[in-house]
Amino acid sequence: MKTNNTEGCALCDATWGEYYREIEGEKTFFCCNICADIFENMVKTVKKETGWNKIDYLELNGNYSKGRICMAKSGDKEFKYYYRTYGDGRLMEFKKL
Amino acid sequence: MAICPICNIKFDNNDFTSLSEHFIDKANSSEPLHVMWLNRNITKTKVDKSKLGLAFKNFYDLNTAGLKLWIINRFIKDYRGENPHPFIIKMQEYNPYIMEGYAVEHYFFLKQWVRSCSAIISKTDYADIQNYEMENMITEYFGKNKKAHIELLLEMAEGYGIDRNKIMKTTPLKNTENAIKRWREIAEKNQWIEIMAAMHSLELIANRALRPYGARYDYFNYDAFDSRNVPDGVRAFLMEGYRSDEAHSMAALELIEKYSKNYNVQDIQDTYLASTYVFYNYLEARIERGEMIENKQY
Ligand SMILES: [Zn+2]
Ligand SMILES: [Zn+2]
Repeated sequence: MKTNNTEGCALCDATWGEYYREIEGEKTFFCCNICADIFENMVKTVKKETGWNKIDYLELNGNYSKGRICMAKSGDKEFKYYYRTYGDGRLMEFKKL
Repeated sequence: MAICPICNIKFDNNDFTSLSEHFIDKANSSEPLHVMWLNRNITKTKVDKSKLGLAFKNFYDLNTAGLKLWIINRFIKDYRGENPHPFIIKMQEYNPYIMEGYAVEHYFFLKQWVRSCSAIISKTDYADIQNYEMENMITEYFGKNKKAHIELLLEMAEGYGIDRNKIMKTTPLKNTENAIKRWREIAEKNQWIEIMAAMHSLELIANRALRPYGARYDYFNYDAFDSRNVPDGVRAFLMEGYRSDEAHSMAALELIEKYSKNYNVQDIQDTYLASTYVFYNYLEARIERGEMIENKQY
């Protein structure tokens, strides 16, 4: 699965750190385990909400402060949502858009 | 000194090289709190030790503007600027659960507040400092011809049906507890001027005079709260502060700046950084408690 973050961390695009986790069968780079937790839970939430069995692409716009307006793609299907967490990565808000 | 606000460990004055080494070390092992702090405060792009050292030097640089302005600028950036604190975002509309969570957690903040103010008094002979703190404690705990701040807080909670005795018996959330622990340590170990910078800088959260300094958000949206749907107790609690001169006051920061020449300015900056680090998390606890109340877990 790809995201629009091409420089670094799949969630926040930071290039600090060196943390890998397998997401959807792919070894994915994160700056830290909190970003990995957020990302992993986000993928689960989107799959549960849509019933998709895979996500091809995630576009994430926003940051830790305002949360993220996101779009997930699977084949030709699209799903838009808003996602924000506490500083420790726990979910604060998830909304379908 | 130069400080790591996460570990609360200190390095020598201007030793930004050691501070950078510490952060790079932590970042290389993907320690999340250090990585997050770098991302938010310095840069999201990995840089080498010398570049990071330079970035820290700039971070601490007062740029001839002075300590007061340094604190204001940093505070706005963390809480009320382009990337506001989530609590500030929540306060842009009226949400009863947020106010209830605020009431519960803030009670513990105020308990610590008076300990910190009295620590300042006990550590200085300057009359203007002592008077300032005594006035402040009176407003918080007794009020002057009006209700005390802490009383307005508890009445707001009671308006929502939360008994004050229940609040007093509550164990504060982890983030609140950790913050109090750090503020208590600062009150015990640091000099009066450092304690003052640690605590009174936090009052900028509700300061109404920050727009000219670049704030993009107010503490709360006045129009949203000035409505008949909002309980009287909430309006009394928020508006009392909002209308008072204190909401515009920079008096504490001016006192800090006035006396800072006689002290190690970097130590004062450090204490601000140590305090704001836990305050950020404490404000999240207000949201978290609100969510617990909404989910009937309180
Ligand atoms: Zn990240
Ligand atoms: Zn550290």
